[in-house]
Amino acid sequence: MATILKIDNLVKNYGKIKAVNRLSLEVEKGAVFGLLGPNGSGKTTTLGVILDVLKKTSGNYEWFGKPSCSRSRKQIGAILEVPAFYPYLSAKRNLIIIAKIKGNGLERIEAVLEQVGLSNRANDPFKTYSLGMKQRLAIAASLLSDPPVMILDEPTNGLDPQGIAEIRSLIRSIAKQGKTIILASHILDEVQKVCTHFAVLHRGKKIYSGSVSEALNESNSLEVASRDMKKLARQLKEYNDIVELKEEKVLFTLTLNGKSSPYDLNKFLVGKGVILSHLAEKKNSLEQKFLKILEEADDQTY
Amino acid sequence: MIRLIEIEWLKLKNYKVFWILISMYLLGLLIILSSGMFLMQFLKKQGAEFSGIDPTIIPLYDFPDVWQNMTYVATFFKVILAFIVIISVTNEISYRTMRQNVIEGLSKWEFLKTKLILILGLSITATLFIFIEGLITGLIYSTVRYPKYIFSDLEFLAAYFLEVTTFLSLALLLGILLKRAGFAIVLIFMYTLIFEPMITINFEHNIWINKYVSWSVPYFPIKAINNLIRVPFQRYVFMEIQDFISWKDVGVVLAWLLIYLISIFKILDKRDI
Repeated sequence: MATILKIDNLVKNYGKIKAVNRLSLEVEKGAVFGLLGPNGSGKTTTLGVILDVLKKTSGNYEWFGKPSCSRSRKQIGAILEVPAFYPYLSAKRNLIIIAKIKGNGLERIEAVLEQVGLSNRANDPFKTYSLGMKQRLAIAASLLSDPPVMILDEPTNGLDPQGIAEIRSLIRSIAKQGKTIILASHILDEVQKVCTHFAVLHRGKKIYSGSVSEALNESNSLEVASRDMKKLARQLKEYNDIVELKEEKVLFTLTLNGKSSPYDLNKFLVGKGVILSHLAEKKNSLEQKFLKILEEADDQTY
Repeated sequence: MIRLIEIEWLKLKNYKVFWILISMYLLGLLIILSSGMFLMQFLKKQGAEFSGIDPTIIPLYDFPDVWQNMTYVATFFKVILAFIVIISVTNEISYRTMRQNVIEGLSKWEFLKTKLILILGLSITATLFIFIEGLITGLIYSTVRYPKYIFSDLEFLAAYFLEVTTFLSLALLLGILLKRAGFAIVLIFMYTLIFEPMITINFEHNIWINKYVSWSVPYFPIKAINNLIRVPFQRYVFMEIQDFISWKDVGVVLAWLLIYLISIFKILDKRDI
């Protein structure tokens, strides 16, 4: 697979603040790459640097295997933070300017406006738009030149639930065309629903990266309950392959290490005379994974 | 290049403020430049006379003197063009469209070029307008109409072009530096009309310091620009004037122009946008 974007030891400082701290990343062709992190973790700064609007302090980044330049940016459709358009110009006229800059897309203006549902407002000035409409226009603009790579920074910002659902399905349909998408978000559900790979940023550092499906599959937790909870508790504490055990109101949640499966645990408990009334495997959500990663990162920091 | 002209034109052509300011400039020039003879008649009615000369016989519009007279008077209007440049570039910063333009694939250098195109466009428009205006009023009032005289001294138009271009580059620099239209407009207005004149007048006439500093006066940014075309009107009361463009003045202005352009480029290159 060809590498679309390669970031190597990227640093961006604002005075003493390390907004991006020795970040290395690779995004493969066709990936839908989620950049996750709490507010202020360096997502937008990273995107600003790789789009050449923020000056890096040190490190390197390459697009399509070459140092970035205005020609490589023409291959990228990007929205960064708030939608930026000429407020006195209509959607159509704004898109004409972008098409002129990109060097193509003039003939796709009607189509992309249709795609984001702005056709009926295409001739109204941008300043009359609601936040959601502005965001839609930004997405239309990023689609305009039919670029092989898209960078979307919080693309569902300001949209209502219906708009969010529409944009997500739009992203998925774009991804199906084999385009590479880099999606920055603090909404985990969004990343879980559309991304194939993700990285987590925390205070400018990359603290995790991997594929979404692996992250969700590894170390699934189990829920167990029995009529005699006290007896169950005693036996669970004796079972060596449990790495994490939490007591909740009417059940225990636990995580097994790699050596043991739910079958083994159940067999062990039956042998000890404990019959389970509830045994369920719980799929990790990215949210749990994410919070756990952040927790671990904080532990290391202090 | 045509692509960049197109981009800048698309941004301007539906921008009302641009059309209001450019019409103000052209209308103002038109009124002032064509009413010279009416002004003289008015002065005569008020009983004014200049060293015993009847104001209405002063040949303001005679070729080729009309070129220096007109370009000198037009000097005072160029600040309106500076507002256009400042508003255009500070808009791009506050709308974040400069940033978006770069993201879409314009290089910072290309973006700067679009603004230089605006400056050149305004300077060319202003110069052409004065040329046509001078031609028309000259043909109406001038007692001399030989092409040889009509088309001599046209270097004053070239000087006006250089003057406006340099002043607008200063405006662009201030706009980019201060990022806010209000600040930049107030600053360029105050500096041009109050601060620099106060400093240079002191440098020239304050007997405590003028011995040491009066040499520097022609090198001040606004003074240098305004020095290109000297006040022509004393000639009508038989005083000596500089009725030509001096290469030294041009050199000083070109040096400032270069300084402005390099500074703009450096700022854009270093700054996060």
